[in-house]
Amino acid sequence: MPSITLALLAAILVFFLGNLYRVVKVMLMPAHLRWDLYPIPKGSRERQAYGGSYFEETEWWTKPIETGHGGEVTFMLKEVFFLRGVFENFRALWVWSLLLHWGLYLYMVSVAAIIAIAVFGAHLAFARALLSNAAFGGFVAACALGVIGSLGLLATRVFSSRLKGFATRAALFNLSLLAAIFGSGLIALFNPRHDLLTALADAVNWRYATGPCPAANYHFVLVALFLVYFPFTHMTHMYMKYFTWHGVRWDDTPARCDEGIREHIADNLARGVSWQAPHIHGASEQTWASVASSSGQHGKTENDQD
Amino acid sequence: MEKQKMIRIEDIARAADRLTDVAPEHMVPLPPPYDGVKALPPRKRLTDKVRAECDCSLDGFLAVGMTRPKTEAEEQELVSRFLAGLNRLLSPEDNWAFLQQLTLSLDHCAGCQTCVESCPIYTASGRDEVYRPTFRSEIFRRIVKKYARPGGKLLAKLKGEEIELNATTILRLLESAYRCTLCRRCAQACPMGVDNALITREIRKLFSMELGVAPREIHENGSLVQLRTGSSTGMKAHVVKDNIEFLEEDFREQTGLDIHTPWDKQGADVLLIHNAGEISVWPENPMAFAIILEAAGINWTMSSELGGYDSVNYGLWYDDAQFARVAVRQMQAAKKLGVRKIVLGECGHAHKAFMVTADRLLPQELDIPRESCLTFLRDIVLSGRLKLDPARNDFPVTLHDPCNMVRMMGIVKPQRDILKAICPQFREMAPHGVENYCCGGGSGFAIMSSYNFEDWRFQVAGRAKLKQILESFADCPEPETKKYVCAPCSNCKGQFRDLFNYYDVWQKSGILHGGLAELIVNAMTDLQKPYIKWESH
Repeated sequence: MPSITLALLAAILVFFLGNLYRVVKVMLMPAHLRWDLYPIPKGSRERQAYGGSYFEETEWWTKPIETGHGGEVTFMLKEVFFLRGVFENFRALWVWSLLLHWGLYLYMVSVAAIIAIAVFGAHLAFARALLSNAAFGGFVAACALGVIGSLGLLATRVFSSRLKGFATRAALFNLSLLAAIFGSGLIALFNPRHDLLTALADAVNWRYATGPCPAANYHFVLVALFLVYFPFTHMTHMYMKYFTWHGVRWDDTPARCDEGIREHIADNLARGVSWQAPHIHGASEQTWASVASSSGQHGKTENDQD
Repeated sequence: MEKQKMIRIEDIARAADRLTDVAPEHMVPLPPPYDGVKALPPRKRLTDKVRAECDCSLDGFLAVGMTRPKTEAEEQELVSRFLAGLNRLLSPEDNWAFLQQLTLSLDHCAGCQTCVESCPIYTASGRDEVYRPTFRSEIFRRIVKKYARPGGKLLAKLKGEEIELNATTILRLLESAYRCTLCRRCAQACPMGVDNALITREIRKLFSMELGVAPREIHENGSLVQLRTGSSTGMKAHVVKDNIEFLEEDFREQTGLDIHTPWDKQGADVLLIHNAGEISVWPENPMAFAIILEAAGINWTMSSELGGYDSVNYGLWYDDAQFARVAVRQMQAAKKLGVRKIVLGECGHAHKAFMVTADRLLPQELDIPRESCLTFLRDIVLSGRLKLDPARNDFPVTLHDPCNMVRMMGIVKPQRDILKAICPQFREMAPHGVENYCCGGGSGFAIMSSYNFEDWRFQVAGRAKLKQILESFADCPEPETKKYVCAPCSNCKGQFRDLFNYYDVWQKSGILHGGLAELIVNAMTDLQKPYIKWESH
């Protein structure tokens, strides 16, 4: 019985469904009010450089608004691959965080290479050796960077005066789990009794139950555990940045330029209001439209009485 | 500086005299002659009655001053009402406006503390834990996770994220929500896109919209008064018109110009809406606008409709219902006049409220184009329609960037284009533009003065800005050299007026604050005498 393969497959399924649930949940939330934060990487390069917006244009509504996403992509690539924000604001943390993130990226690329070999091996005869060597090198580098990065972050969380008050059990557990995954991977890679890459290829090909190398077995179990755990943690920030950045702070499209937004406004104004403060007078039949039209106080306004 | 004491998240619920004292010796020092603890005015002492009734155990200051429950039953009721509000805050019906932003910010903080050094309040206080931008957010995040999510209590134990919800927690959380100016510098720094300022605003909203609790200056004497009378100042339409008429006469005598403000002109190109506070506190600003618009030949008007003569919208800081009500009334006033566009005067939060936040709130028929006075004035100045002589502004000038116009709207260059054209000694602050520091009066603080809140506002919240202003004039610190801080925002000017008076900045350093329009008029060659009066406000 290929128990490790089954565990990994089940974990991947939970990982996929869990993350899908998180994304769909955010996407199904009502259209929100604008909450721009500059600089927004849109418009001309000159304007992006100092954080300007289309509001700087005279009668901006009469001019085309640049909506290209090239600047956003460049910004995000810098954020994902170089952790720009942490580099600029917390250099001591950045070193370890960069190592951990690059460990994770290399790990994913190496796994992809192994899967490619395992699945398409027969058709990749010419590149098989090259891919295998690259995957091995990638795994070694990934695990080494991951171990150093996660242990460095763990130590920073525990000892840094800036961080230790916020070092919760969950945060320390997350980093320990990552250190264990990368550590067991590193041990398994250099274990003479069994090759981790072969084991992984076997797993992909539905042949791997448990092998002679305990480190490899532990490694796979920890990876499965991590995959199941991941969607329920803040680590989903890896892709949720799309919403926090693109969907909120960079979402500067004016309602007058998008019919869809107009429809959302109408839907939202028809929603019910049940807040209970005296100036809102919560009642189930109230809608946002009726609240916005009321004055929040009984009787006429004072100007009406003049 | 002595080392700050460690305060843990869980401490928020523990009864103690106070969590922190914000000791002056811990705070970032100001340049001479403002350095040293003795240079600080003494802090106001809360009366015994207030101390007995309200909970000032966060930091010894009070902004809201909610009454402490007297019995266990009252405390339980407070907790249960708070939890009801929490559930509404997480509901798509009651909080469609900010649910997505709030949920994202609650769920994706990595606790990395990358943001903390960007907070001018936290750093200026000497890194007091209570003012760390993540402190308040983490308290609220733990409350949400424990009390509003399935399995929350068990998970809180497992994850080591315990928090107790009692009256002490609630009252301290309320006060804490008014120790952040919502400047959003921390959000700029967050690599995850988490927004602590938004969480702070939502906490304020919960208290206001569910419990009916908010600082009286911004609710009872602010937005409620505006909805009743037309202006948060309490001025009704005829009072505003009378005041403007009186000011026109006064400024006609001073300037020799024929100043005239058109009222309720149907079909005008421009409806100009000021923060009505300008009319009563800084009348030289609306008069400067009138002079500029007339000289440039603009077809403009002001409105005496309810909602048409005061651009402020305090709801932006604490309450969605009040926000929506004010925005709708302002738009209805513009609609009635059939103007081509609305130009907002020098008020930062009004800019953001009207041009950004209300954009996805107003139905199409009320969506009248809105423009900033900064771009509008830039075009007038650079068009050559006014005769301007920069030599008339030959004194050191620096520019304060109002957070709402700059960091939250991206209006950065127009005001600089003007100043570079008319002020030969213009110099930038460091940092500036979208990285500016808040004046310390943001999110309503500039009009809040209850209890001993002003001491906190000037000693802590405004500290980074005062330091920055003094440093930008470091080459001419002597009071004999008159200097000008251009602050194109009424709220910021309110803070500067009070902050400068508190530290006696006019006497000690010769620094004056004022708007942008005044500098333009001061450079106009049509005037016989300088428009700017070098005297403290």
